[in-house]
Amino acid sequence: MGGAAVTTERSGGDQGEARPPGPLREHLTSATTRAALRVRQGIMAAAREYLTARDFAELQAPIIGPVTDPGVRGAKQVDIDYYGQRYKLMSSAILYKQASLLTFDRIFCLAPNIRLEPPETASTGRHLVEFHQIDVEVAGASREDAMELAQALVQHVIRTVITTMAAELEALGRDTGAFTETLAGPFDRITHAEATEGLAALGHGQSRDSEITWAGERVLSLKASRPFLVVDYPKGSRGFYDRESRTRPGVLRNFDLIAPEGYGELCSGSERESEYATLVTRMRETGENPAKYGWYLDLAREGIRPSAGFGLGLERLTRYVTGLAHVWQTTAYPKLAGVISP
Amino acid sequence: MSGLSAPGLPEGPIRARARDGVAGAFPPGAGYGHTVFGATPAASPDPLDRARLAPPIFMPERLEKLIELGREPTYGDVVLDTVIGGLSSPLPVYVSALGSTEVAGSDLGLAVVRQAGRLGLPLVVGENVGSVGGYRSSGPAATTLLARIEAYAAELRGPHGGVVVQQSTEDADSEIWNLLYSDPAVRDLLDSGRMAFELKCGQGAKPGLGGMTMLDADGAARVAGRYVVDAAAGGGTALLLRSGTPGTFTEEILRQQIRLMRNNYPRARVWVKLPPVRDVRHAAVAAWSAGADAVTVDGAEAGTGWAPVAFLEHVGLPLGECLARLGSPSSCVLVSGRMWEGARAVKSLALGATAVGLGRAALVAADEAPRDGLVNLVACLAFEMRMLISALGKYAPDRLGPEDVWAATGSGTR
Repeated sequence: MGGAAVTTERSGGDQGEARPPGPLREHLTSATTRAALRVRQGIMAAAREYLTARDFAELQAPIIGPVTDPGVRGAKQVDIDYYGQRYKLMSSAILYKQASLLTFDRIFCLAPNIRLEPPETASTGRHLVEFHQIDVEVAGASREDAMELAQALVQHVIRTVITTMAAELEALGRDTGAFTETLAGPFDRITHAEATEGLAALGHGQSRDSEITWAGERVLSLKASRPFLVVDYPKGSRGFYDRESRTRPGVLRNFDLIAPEGYGELCSGSERESEYATLVTRMRETGENPAKYGWYLDLAREGIRPSAGFGLGLERLTRYVTGLAHVWQTTAYPKLAGVISP
Repeated sequence: MSGLSAPGLPEGPIRARARDGVAGAFPPGAGYGHTVFGATPAASPDPLDRARLAPPIFMPERLEKLIELGREPTYGDVVLDTVIGGLSSPLPVYVSALGSTEVAGSDLGLAVVRQAGRLGLPLVVGENVGSVGGYRSSGPAATTLLARIEAYAAELRGPHGGVVVQQSTEDADSEIWNLLYSDPAVRDLLDSGRMAFELKCGQGAKPGLGGMTMLDADGAARVAGRYVVDAAAGGGTALLLRSGTPGTFTEEILRQQIRLMRNNYPRARVWVKLPPVRDVRHAAVAAWSAGADAVTVDGAEAGTGWAPVAFLEHVGLPLGECLARLGSPSSCVLVSGRMWEGARAVKSLALGATAVGLGRAALVAADEAPRDGLVNLVACLAFEMRMLISALGKYAPDRLGPEDVWAATGSGTR
């Protein structure tokens, strides 16, 4: 590695005060950036290798469309003028993932996402306005299948990177011993209700009806020594496409994968809703206007396949693997909420 | 015409419909843009109008005040400060939604907004303001959502006030709440806890229908893909009727929408606006239990915008009946509909409301005096409220109760 020395900021996911990116030239010529981008490349290659070997078809997700994923906390979508119509840049590929199962039984894509996050997320150390997800969807799969796949994929990627990119990780100061427990077996699971009770016991207020707060997620993540899954989020905290339990109304058949050491959420997934009438009703429950989802609902009315899948944040996974303090360090052109950037 | 007459039938309106078709369902269109519409008292008998405030002679709370002060209390000792749906106000009054209708979008609307800010009264910005008037303007346009909010915030002094932004079904397409929540321009309001979002489930003047404005051909063409545009309902003018949809609600849809608001906008207060419907209590309880900070009930007397005559005169419960159905709520109820003076306001507070909203009265007052009209109207309202509340032997609005009101029907009498 040439150029500037690697930054030796070693506080990783428990970094307290977030540090914004410096000047672009400094960032682009930094040895830290160079090593992080190499690890990121290795992660993408390992994910592709793992999924392709299991007969997943790789697709390129659309960049624009008449609608996009509305299930994102308080973040604004980006509008563009598309021949006089209001179109959106994709905040996630979820609707196209479901549709693509009309072509293949199992698909993945490395998809760019844009979300104009609330300005306060600029200081969480793990939010970017522009980011990528390793998006995976499997027809006929259950939540259990999706969680096992997410776990196996993450373990494969980490195993591959620590084997093949030891020099980069060493340059970044990442102690690969931190992954011993991560690679040791199945990840632990807790329910959303257990997570909120645990947070309450720690004096951290958390509504049982809401998404776990960013601060709460950090508390849980800091306590953990290996990744864990949070399941059964309440309806009202997620988008209309996360399927509601048939036997436990109000509980979603979904999950988040949380990294330890304060790195926080890496991945969200679920069994998907595929029934037309339920989708329309759930759209209303999430305050959406079904009229604008015309193409998607037309497909659903004629039938889309039941499925399960997840989106694994590429930059967040790279941050966890590299042990960097800020998620923006894993991308060449970082964009933080409310910060005007190249 | 043959000279046929039909005694006992309202011949004029029948002939108007025979001439104008669908336009006859609305008030004369020539009034649009400089008239604020609403039911006439004769068409909408409200139990609140017949009720009287009924002071007692024995007043233990006045004795408490006497002991506290060491002198006889007067009306000047009534403390009107009130927390309204999480926002603080110097009196139990807020300015209710002024929507995208032409009257409110003019300089008049801006005069109301500025005076509300100066007074520190919470201000509701109506649905469609962002999706019809635009969100942000590079020029001096006063009609955009952000222009209204910034004009209000520029006048705020002290701890009071806050902005409450409505979103309707079509507004959701424009992501009005997401826009605001992620906009650094309103961060001071969010940081100081002075931002609320109001889920609009309907309105008083036309329960069961969505918001309506009249637009010229160019304006209508701009929104045609998103709204129903009806050329036949122009009220005898060249204007076209633009209708929003009221949105579909069940108890579960309402509950989950509120939970999603709390989930997505944890730093904003959550208000829910209900029309004067027969299941108003059921809906209000569902809203509170899902975590709403306030439920606003718009009586059938309310209105500002354009509405069909049949709705103005025949649809929706009077505010007094809504309050009766709500019982004695333990959570925050805000009411609006023909509010402008102290007696109707204090009766509403006694029957369970936390605060009352000024709608059309605020516009008329600002029209009378663009700089001070609303300020003066509110000064008079506060003066009357203090006199009335003290006459009941109470010294704060939240001490009022149903025992303070005598209803002509007998209910509420103790």
